[in-house]
Amino acid sequence: MIGNIRDLARKWLEDKEVDAIFALREQNGYLAPYLFTNVDKLGSMEISTQYRLSYTCRPSKENILSLMQRKEPSTRIGIVARGCEERALIELAKRSQIDLGKTKIMGIACTQEEAIECKCERPYPDNLVLGQKVEGVSQDENVDALLNKSITERLAFWRYQFSKCIKCYGCRNACPMCFCKDCKMEQGVFTETGWLPPEIPMFLFIRFSHISERCIWCGECEKACPVDIPLLTLFKLLRRDIKDLFDYEAGMDMTQEAPLLTTLDEMPMKEELASGI
Amino acid sequence: MVEFEPKILAFCCNWCSYRGADLAGISRIKYPPNVRIIRVMCSGRVEPEFVVKALSSGADGVLVLGCHIGDCHYIYGNHRTAKRMAILQRLLGYLGIEPSRLRLEWVSAAEGSRFSKIVTEFTSEIKRLGPNPLKNITLQNPTILRDEKR
Ligand code: SF4
Ligand code: SF4
Ligand code: FES
Repeated sequence: MIGNIRDLARKWLEDKEVDAIFALREQNGYLAPYLFTNVDKLGSMEISTQYRLSYTCRPSKENILSLMQRKEPSTRIGIVARGCEERALIELAKRSQIDLGKTKIMGIACTQEEAIECKCERPYPDNLVLGQKVEGVSQDENVDALLNKSITERLAFWRYQFSKCIKCYGCRNACPMCFCKDCKMEQGVFTETGWLPPEIPMFLFIRFSHISERCIWCGECEKACPVDIPLLTLFKLLRRDIKDLFDYEAGMDMTQEAPLLTTLDEMPMKEELASGI
Repeated sequence: MVEFEPKILAFCCNWCSYRGADLAGISRIKYPPNVRIIRVMCSGRVEPEFVVKALSSGADGVLVLGCHIGDCHYIYGNHRTAKRMAILQRLLGYLGIEPSRLRLEWVSAAEGSRFSKIVTEFTSEIKRLGPNPLKNITLQNPTILRDEKR
Protein backbone atom coordinates (compact mmCIF):
# COMPACT_ATOMS: atom_id res chain seq x y z
CA MET A 1 0.00 0.00 0.00
CA ILE A 2 2.60 2.54 1.06
CA GLY A 3 4.61 1.63 -2.03
CA ASN A 4 1.70 2.51 -4.29
CA ILE A 5 1.15 5.75 -2.44
CA ARG A 6 4.79 6.75 -2.83
CA ASP A 7 4.70 5.87 -6.54
CA LEU A 8 1.57 7.90 -7.14
CA ALA A 9 2.99 10.81 -5.14
CA ARG A 10 6.10 10.69 -7.29
CA LYS A 11 3.96 10.71 -10.42
CA TRP A 12 1.89 13.66 -9.21
CA LEU A 13 5.02 15.62 -8.39
CA GLU A 14 6.82 14.73 -11.60
CA ASP A 15 3.80 15.49 -13.79
CA LYS A 16 3.47 18.82 -11.96
CA GLU A 17 -0.11 17.97 -11.03
CA VAL A 18 0.67 19.32 -7.60
CA ASP A 19 3.53 21.38 -6.23
CA ALA A 20 3.79 19.48 -2.98
CA ILE A 21 2.38 16.46 -1.17
CA PHE A 22 1.21 16.68 2.41
CA ALA A 23 1.65 13.39 4.23
CA LEU A 24 3.32 11.74 7.19
CA ARG A 25 7.05 11.32 7.28
CA GLU A 26 9.13 9.03 9.42
CA GLN A 27 12.18 10.52 10.98
CA ASN A 28 14.27 8.89 13.71
CA GLY A 29 11.43 6.46 14.34
CA TYR A 30 8.80 9.17 14.81
CA LEU A 31 5.98 10.20 12.52
CA ALA A 32 5.16 13.80 11.82
CA PRO A 33 3.29 15.73 9.14
CA TYR A 34 5.55 16.81 6.33
CA LEU A 35 5.25 18.65 3.06
CA PHE A 36 7.06 16.69 0.37
CA THR A 37 8.32 18.77 -2.50
CA ASN A 38 11.35 16.70 -3.41
CA VAL A 39 10.78 13.31 -5.05
CA ASP A 40 13.97 11.94 -3.50
CA LYS A 41 12.49 12.27 -0.03
CA LEU A 42 9.40 10.20 -0.86
CA GLY A 43 11.05 7.09 0.59
CA SER A 44 10.34 8.36 4.08
CA MET A 45 6.62 8.87 3.45
CA GLU A 46 4.45 6.77 5.78
CA ILE A 47 0.84 6.13 6.67
CA SER A 48 -0.44 5.26 10.09
CA THR A 49 -3.68 4.77 11.96
CA GLN A 50 -2.04 5.68 15.23
CA TYR A 51 -0.98 9.02 13.98
CA ARG A 52 -2.94 10.57 11.20
CA LEU A 53 -2.44 13.94 9.63
CA SER A 54 -3.45 16.16 12.44
CA TYR A 55 -5.06 19.18 10.96
CA THR A 56 -4.70 21.49 13.88
CA CYS A 57 -1.52 22.20 15.70
CA ARG A 58 -1.47 23.47 19.24
CA PRO A 59 -0.81 25.69 21.04
CA SER A 60 -0.88 28.17 18.18
CA LYS A 61 -4.29 26.66 17.31
CA GLU A 62 -3.53 26.96 13.67
CA ASN A 63 -4.68 24.48 11.18
CA ILE A 64 -1.53 23.30 9.43
CA LEU A 65 -3.10 23.21 6.02
CA SER A 66 -4.77 26.59 6.34
CA LEU A 67 -1.53 28.05 7.64
CA MET A 68 0.32 26.73 4.60
CA GLN A 69 -2.38 27.92 2.26
CA ARG A 70 -2.37 31.37 3.76
CA LYS A 71 1.39 31.66 3.33
CA GLU A 72 1.48 30.17 -0.14
CA PRO A 73 -1.97 30.70 -1.63
CA SER A 74 -1.03 29.61 -5.11
CA THR A 75 0.62 26.30 -4.18
CA ARG A 76 -1.31 23.24 -5.22
CA ILE A 77 -1.06 20.67 -2.45
CA GLY A 78 -1.74 16.97 -2.78
CA ILE A 79 -2.98 15.32 0.41
CA VAL A 80 -2.88 11.67 1.34
CA ALA A 81 -6.22 11.22 3.08
CA ARG A 82 -8.24 8.38 4.53
CA GLY A 83 -12.03 8.53 4.64
CA CYS A 84 -12.15 10.45 7.88
CA GLU A 85 -9.43 12.80 6.79
CA GLU A 86 -11.28 13.57 3.59
CA ARG A 87 -14.45 14.28 5.54
CA ALA A 88 -12.48 16.59 7.80
CA LEU A 89 -11.11 18.44 4.79
CA ILE A 90 -14.57 18.89 3.30
CA GLU A 91 -16.01 20.13 6.56
CA LEU A 92 -13.09 22.50 7.09
CA ALA A 93 -13.47 23.88 3.58
CA LYS A 94 -17.18 24.49 4.21
CA ARG A 95 -16.21 26.55 7.21
CA SER A 96 -13.67 28.59 5.22
CA GLN A 97 -10.65 27.13 6.97
CA ILE A 98 -9.02 25.73 3.86
CA ASP A 99 -9.38 26.05 0.11
CA LEU A 100 -10.19 22.69 -1.44
CA GLY A 101 -9.84 24.13 -4.92
CA LYS A 102 -6.10 24.27 -4.45
CA THR A 103 -5.78 20.72 -3.15
CA LYS A 104 -5.86 17.32 -4.72
CA ILE A 105 -6.94 14.50 -2.48
CA MET A 106 -5.21 11.15 -2.76
CA GLY A 107 -7.93 9.09 -1.12
CA ILE A 108 -6.80 5.80 0.38
CA ALA A 109 -9.04 3.07 1.73
CA CYS A 110 -8.54 1.59 5.18
CA THR A 111 -8.20 -2.14 5.66
CA GLN A 112 -10.83 -4.22 7.44
CA GLU A 113 -8.66 -4.45 10.57
CA GLU A 114 -8.18 -0.72 10.63
CA ALA A 115 -11.91 -0.14 10.21
CA ILE A 116 -12.67 -2.46 13.11
CA GLU A 117 -10.03 -0.85 15.27
CA CYS A 118 -11.57 2.59 14.69
CA LYS A 119 -15.18 1.30 14.76
CA CYS A 120 -15.40 3.32 11.58
CA GLU A 121 -18.72 3.41 9.74
CA ARG A 122 -17.23 4.59 6.48
CA PRO A 123 -13.59 3.56 6.14
CA TYR A 124 -13.07 4.94 2.65
CA PRO A 125 -13.07 8.38 1.04
CA ASP A 126 -15.41 9.50 -1.71
CA ASN A 127 -12.43 10.23 -3.84
CA LEU A 128 -10.93 6.74 -3.68
CA VAL A 129 -7.64 6.57 -5.53
CA LEU A 130 -5.79 3.69 -3.93
CA GLY A 131 -6.90 0.57 -2.11
CA GLN A 132 -10.03 -1.57 -1.86
CA LYS A 133 -13.23 -0.40 -0.23
CA VAL A 134 -14.20 -2.49 2.78
CA GLU A 135 -17.46 -2.54 4.69
CA GLY A 136 -17.78 -0.14 7.60
CA VAL A 137 -18.62 -1.20 11.14
CA SER A 138 -22.17 -0.15 11.92
CA GLN A 139 -22.43 -1.71 15.37
CA ASP A 140 -21.01 0.08 18.38
CA GLU A 141 -21.59 -1.65 21.70
CA ASN A 142 -21.12 1.60 23.63
CA VAL A 143 -23.96 3.26 21.73
CA ASP A 144 -26.29 0.31 22.22
CA ALA A 145 -25.40 0.07 25.89
CA LEU A 146 -26.17 3.75 26.44
CA LEU A 147 -29.50 3.53 24.66
CA ASN A 148 -30.49 0.59 26.84
CA LYS A 149 -29.92 2.58 30.00
CA SER A 150 -32.68 4.46 31.77
CA ILE A 151 -32.37 8.20 32.09
CA THR A 152 -31.09 7.96 35.69
CA GLU A 153 -28.57 5.29 34.76
CA ARG A 154 -27.31 7.47 31.94
CA LEU A 155 -26.66 10.36 34.28
CA ALA A 156 -24.87 8.09 36.73
CA PHE A 157 -22.82 6.64 33.89
CA TRP A 158 -21.69 10.00 32.56
CA ARG A 159 -21.11 11.33 36.01
CA TYR A 160 -18.63 8.54 36.60
CA GLN A 161 -17.08 8.91 33.15
CA PHE A 162 -16.73 12.68 33.31
CA SER A 163 -15.30 12.58 36.80
CA LYS A 164 -12.32 10.70 35.37
CA CYS A 165 -11.41 13.62 33.12
CA ILE A 166 -8.02 15.09 33.90
CA LYS A 167 -8.62 18.12 31.71
CA CYS A 168 -5.72 17.40 29.43
CA TYR A 169 -7.60 18.91 26.47
CA GLY A 170 -6.40 15.95 24.42
CA CYS A 171 -9.83 15.40 22.93
CA ARG A 172 -10.08 18.98 21.82
CA ASN A 173 -6.57 19.16 20.50
CA ALA A 174 -6.92 16.00 18.47
CA CYS A 175 -10.22 17.03 16.94
CA PRO A 176 -9.87 18.24 13.37
CA MET A 177 -13.08 20.21 13.70
CA CYS A 178 -11.99 22.20 16.77
CA PHE A 179 -10.27 25.27 15.42
CA CYS A 180 -11.48 28.28 17.39
CA LYS A 181 -8.73 30.55 18.66
CA ASP A 182 -10.62 31.35 21.84
CA CYS A 183 -11.89 28.14 23.34
CA LYS A 184 -14.73 28.30 25.81
CA MET A 185 -13.31 25.32 27.64
CA GLU A 186 -10.38 27.48 28.70
CA GLN A 187 -12.10 30.70 29.54
CA GLY A 188 -13.56 30.04 32.93
CA VAL A 189 -16.88 31.68 32.13
CA PHE A 190 -18.77 28.44 32.14
CA THR A 191 -16.30 26.06 33.66
CA GLU A 192 -13.70 27.20 36.11
CA THR A 193 -10.09 26.73 35.14
CA GLY A 194 -7.51 25.07 37.34
CA TRP A 195 -9.76 22.54 39.08
CA LEU A 196 -10.26 18.82 38.84
CA PRO A 197 -12.48 17.16 38.00
CA PRO A 198 -13.87 19.80 35.69
CA GLU A 199 -17.44 20.86 36.20
CA ILE A 200 -19.81 18.02 35.35
CA PRO A 201 -21.19 18.02 32.74
CA MET A 202 -20.29 21.52 31.58
CA PHE A 203 -16.65 21.02 30.61
CA LEU A 204 -17.23 18.24 28.12
CA PHE A 205 -20.70 19.45 27.27
CA ILE A 206 -19.14 22.50 25.63
CA ARG A 207 -17.39 20.23 23.20
CA PHE A 208 -20.40 18.04 22.52
CA SER A 209 -22.54 21.03 21.82
CA HIS A 210 -20.03 22.91 19.68
CA ILE A 211 -19.00 19.95 17.56
CA SER A 212 -22.45 18.33 17.36
CA GLU A 213 -23.22 18.96 13.70
CA ARG A 214 -19.68 19.05 12.38
CA CYS A 215 -18.29 15.87 13.92
CA ILE A 216 -16.98 13.68 11.14
CA TRP A 217 -16.72 10.64 13.44
CA CYS A 218 -13.02 10.09 13.04
CA GLY A 219 -12.77 8.93 16.64
CA GLU A 220 -9.61 10.89 17.33
CA CYS A 221 -11.04 12.37 20.55
CA GLU A 222 -11.79 9.00 22.05
CA LYS A 223 -8.38 7.65 21.05
CA ALA A 224 -6.65 10.68 22.50
CA CYS A 225 -8.38 10.46 25.86
CA PRO A 226 -5.91 9.02 28.39
CA VAL A 227 -8.66 7.96 30.80
CA ASP A 228 -10.85 6.23 28.20
CA ILE A 229 -14.00 8.30 28.33
CA PRO A 230 -16.26 6.98 25.54
CA LEU A 231 -16.67 10.38 23.90
CA LEU A 232 -17.49 9.02 20.49
CA THR A 233 -20.67 7.42 21.82
CA LEU A 234 -22.37 10.79 22.18
CA PHE A 235 -21.02 12.11 18.91
CA LYS A 236 -22.32 9.07 17.06
CA LEU A 237 -25.76 9.47 18.59
CA LEU A 238 -25.82 13.16 17.76
CA ARG A 239 -24.82 12.40 14.22
CA ARG A 240 -27.79 10.06 13.86
CA ASP A 241 -30.11 12.70 15.22
CA ILE A 242 -28.79 15.38 12.92
CA LYS A 243 -29.28 13.05 10.01
CA ASP A 244 -32.88 12.47 11.08
CA LEU A 245 -33.59 16.11 11.77
CA PHE A 246 -31.94 17.76 8.79
CA ASP A 247 -30.95 14.98 6.44
CA TYR A 248 -27.43 16.23 6.87
CA GLU A 249 -24.17 14.40 7.35
CA ALA A 250 -20.98 16.26 8.11
CA GLY A 251 -18.12 15.91 5.68
CA MET A 252 -20.04 14.19 2.91
CA ASP A 253 -21.18 16.83 0.47
CA MET A 254 -19.24 20.02 -0.10
CA THR A 255 -22.30 21.78 -1.51
CA GLN A 256 -24.51 21.12 1.49
CA GLU A 257 -24.34 23.86 4.09
CA ALA A 258 -24.33 22.99 7.76
CA PRO A 259 -27.72 23.07 9.52
CA LEU A 260 -26.66 25.42 12.29
CA LEU A 261 -25.24 27.87 9.77
CA THR A 262 -28.43 28.10 7.75
CA THR A 263 -31.96 29.32 8.35
CA LEU A 264 -35.04 27.14 8.55
CA ASP A 265 -35.92 28.18 5.00
CA GLU A 266 -32.57 27.09 3.63
CA MET A 267 -32.41 23.86 5.58
CA PRO A 268 -35.70 22.97 7.20
CA MET A 269 -35.99 20.81 10.25
CA LYS A 270 -38.34 17.85 10.22
CA GLU A 271 -41.15 19.36 12.25
CA GLU A 272 -42.51 16.12 13.60
CA LEU A 273 -39.14 15.36 15.19
CA ALA A 274 -38.57 18.80 16.64
CA SER A 275 -40.14 18.13 19.99
CA GLY A 276 -41.16 21.04 22.17
CA ILE A 277 -41.81 23.41 19.30
CA MET B 1 -44.91 16.98 53.32
CA VAL B 2 -44.13 20.22 51.61
CA GLU B 3 -44.94 20.17 47.96
CA PHE B 4 -41.95 20.43 45.66
CA GLU B 5 -41.72 23.94 44.29
CA PRO B 6 -39.54 23.91 41.21
CA LYS B 7 -37.27 26.72 40.21
CA ILE B 8 -37.79 27.62 36.60
CA LEU B 9 -35.64 29.90 34.54
CA ALA B 10 -37.13 31.56 31.48
CA PHE B 11 -35.00 33.21 28.84
CA CYS B 12 -37.25 35.73 27.12
CA CYS B 13 -36.30 37.69 24.07
CA ASN B 14 -36.55 41.42 24.45
CA TRP B 15 -38.80 42.13 21.51
CA CYS B 16 -41.62 39.63 21.85
CA SER B 17 -41.60 37.23 24.75
CA TYR B 18 -40.46 39.67 27.41
CA ARG B 19 -43.19 42.03 26.29
CA GLY B 20 -45.59 39.11 26.34
CA ALA B 21 -44.61 38.46 29.95
CA ASP B 22 -45.02 42.15 30.63
CA LEU B 23 -48.47 42.10 29.12
CA ALA B 24 -49.40 39.15 31.31
CA GLY B 25 -48.35 41.25 34.30
CA ILE B 26 -50.15 44.39 33.17
CA SER B 27 -53.29 42.46 32.41
CA ARG B 28 -53.05 40.79 35.83
CA ILE B 29 -53.09 37.31 34.38
CA LYS B 30 -52.03 34.82 37.05
CA TYR B 31 -49.14 32.43 36.54
CA PRO B 32 -47.04 30.37 38.95
CA PRO B 33 -44.38 32.35 40.83
CA ASN B 34 -41.81 29.61 40.17
CA VAL B 35 -40.51 31.27 37.07
CA ARG B 36 -37.56 33.67 37.05
CA ILE B 37 -37.13 35.64 33.88
CA ILE B 38 -33.88 36.57 32.22
CA ARG B 39 -34.17 38.99 29.36
CA VAL B 40 -31.97 38.40 26.35
CA MET B 41 -31.97 40.48 23.20
CA CYS B 42 -32.97 37.56 21.02
CA SER B 43 -33.71 33.90 21.65
CA GLY B 44 -30.75 33.31 19.34
CA ARG B 45 -28.55 34.65 22.12
CA VAL B 46 -29.35 31.63 24.27
CA GLU B 47 -26.40 29.34 23.97
CA PRO B 48 -26.81 25.69 24.88
CA GLU B 49 -24.28 26.35 27.64
CA PHE B 50 -26.72 28.77 29.27
CA VAL B 51 -29.27 26.03 29.56
CA VAL B 52 -26.85 23.53 31.04
CA LYS B 53 -25.42 26.14 33.37
CA ALA B 54 -28.91 26.93 34.59
CA LEU B 55 -29.68 23.27 35.14
CA SER B 56 -26.43 22.56 36.94
CA SER B 57 -26.74 25.64 39.12
CA GLY B 58 -30.09 24.63 40.50
CA ALA B 59 -32.85 25.30 38.00
CA ASP B 60 -35.31 22.43 37.63
CA GLY B 61 -36.48 23.52 34.23
CA VAL B 62 -35.53 26.01 31.55
CA LEU B 63 -37.89 27.81 29.21
CA VAL B 64 -36.58 29.50 26.10
CA LEU B 65 -39.09 31.92 24.67
CA GLY B 66 -38.75 33.87 21.45
CA CYS B 67 -40.71 35.59 18.71
CA HIS B 68 -42.74 33.45 16.34
CA ILE B 69 -40.85 32.26 13.28
CA GLY B 70 -40.79 35.15 10.82
CA ASP B 71 -41.18 37.77 13.54
CA CYS B 72 -37.68 37.75 15.01
CA HIS B 73 -36.31 41.27 15.35
CA TYR B 74 -33.05 39.98 13.92
CA ILE B 75 -34.86 38.12 11.15
CA TYR B 76 -33.25 34.70 11.47
CA GLY B 77 -32.23 34.62 15.15
CA ASN B 78 -34.98 32.26 16.17
CA HIS B 79 -34.29 29.93 13.26
CA ARG B 80 -30.96 29.22 14.89
CA THR B 81 -32.62 28.80 18.27
CA ALA B 82 -35.07 26.27 16.92
CA LYS B 83 -32.33 24.10 15.45
CA ARG B 84 -29.99 24.44 18.37
CA MET B 85 -32.58 23.59 20.98
CA ALA B 86 -33.75 20.53 19.06
CA ILE B 87 -30.19 19.19 19.08
CA LEU B 88 -29.68 20.21 22.69
CA GLN B 89 -32.79 18.38 23.83
CA ARG B 90 -31.48 15.17 22.37
CA LEU B 91 -28.05 15.69 23.86
CA LEU B 92 -29.60 16.25 27.29
CA GLY B 93 -31.46 12.98 26.92
CA TYR B 94 -28.27 11.07 26.19
CA LEU B 95 -26.54 12.69 29.13
CA GLY B 96 -29.32 11.54 31.46
CA ILE B 97 -31.28 14.75 31.90
CA GLU B 98 -34.96 14.59 30.95
CA PRO B 99 -35.26 16.49 27.66
CA SER B 100 -38.58 17.92 28.80
CA ARG B 101 -36.76 20.03 31.38
CA LEU B 102 -36.01 22.26 28.44
CA ARG B 103 -38.81 23.77 26.43
CA LEU B 104 -38.78 26.15 23.52
CA GLU B 105 -41.88 28.20 22.74
CA TRP B 106 -42.76 31.22 20.65
CA VAL B 107 -44.62 33.99 22.46
CA SER B 108 -45.44 37.30 20.81
CA ALA B 109 -45.79 40.65 22.57
CA ALA B 110 -49.56 40.37 22.31
CA GLU B 111 -49.75 36.90 23.85
CA GLY B 112 -49.83 37.59 27.58
CA SER B 113 -52.28 34.78 28.17
CA ARG B 114 -50.21 32.38 26.11
CA PHE B 115 -47.20 33.23 28.24
CA SER B 116 -49.12 32.46 31.40
CA LYS B 117 -50.48 29.22 29.91
CA ILE B 118 -46.99 28.04 28.94
CA VAL B 119 -45.54 28.84 32.35
CA THR B 120 -48.42 27.10 34.11
CA GLU B 121 -48.15 23.99 31.97
CA PHE B 122 -44.40 23.85 32.22
CA THR B 123 -44.46 24.28 36.00
CA SER B 124 -46.80 21.36 36.45
CA GLU B 125 -44.71 19.27 34.07
CA ILE B 126 -41.58 20.00 36.12
CA LYS B 127 -43.46 19.27 39.34
CA ARG B 128 -44.31 15.91 37.90
CA LEU B 129 -40.66 15.28 36.95
CA GLY B 130 -39.39 16.25 40.38
CA PRO B 131 -36.14 17.97 41.33
CA ASN B 132 -33.45 18.12 38.72
CA PRO B 133 -30.86 15.43 39.52
CA LEU B 134 -28.05 17.38 37.95
CA LYS B 135 -27.92 19.99 40.67
CA ASN B 136 -26.84 17.43 43.30
CA ILE B 137 -24.04 16.31 41.07
CA THR B 138 -22.75 19.78 40.50
CA LEU B 139 -23.12 20.70 44.15
CA GLN B 140 -20.80 17.85 45.06
CA ASN B 141 -18.30 19.13 42.60
CA PRO B 142 -15.26 20.72 44.22
CA THR B 143 -15.32 23.72 41.90
CA ILE B 144 -18.78 24.71 42.99
CA LEU B 145 -18.15 23.90 46.66
CA ARG B 146 -15.22 26.23 46.63
CA ASP B 147 -17.42 28.95 45.21
CA GLU B 148 -19.87 28.44 48.02
CA LYS B 149 -17.18 28.68 50.68
CA ARG B 150 -16.02 32.00 49.33
S1 SF4 C 1 -14.88 12.05 16.35
FE1 SF4 C 1 -14.04 13.40 17.96
S2 SF4 C 1 -12.11 14.17 17.09
FE2 SF4 C 1 -13.30 13.35 15.36
S3 SF4 C 1 -14.46 15.13 14.54
FE3 SF4 C 1 -15.79 14.10 16.04
S4 SF4 C 1 -15.41 15.20 17.96
FE4 SF4 C 1 -13.70 15.70 16.60
S1 SF4 D 1 -8.99 13.71 26.40
FE1 SF4 D 1 -10.19 12.77 28.08
S2 SF4 D 1 -9.14 13.44 29.97
FE2 SF4 D 1 -8.39 14.77 28.32
S3 SF4 D 1 -9.75 16.57 28.41
FE3 SF4 D 1 -10.65 15.15 26.89
S4 SF4 D 1 -12.10 13.91 28.08
FE4 SF4 D 1 -10.75 14.92 29.58
S1 FES E 1 -35.82 38.92 18.70
FE1 FES E 1 -37.30 37.58 19.52
S2 FES E 1 -36.48 35.68 18.87
FE2 FES E 1 -35.07 37.05 17.92
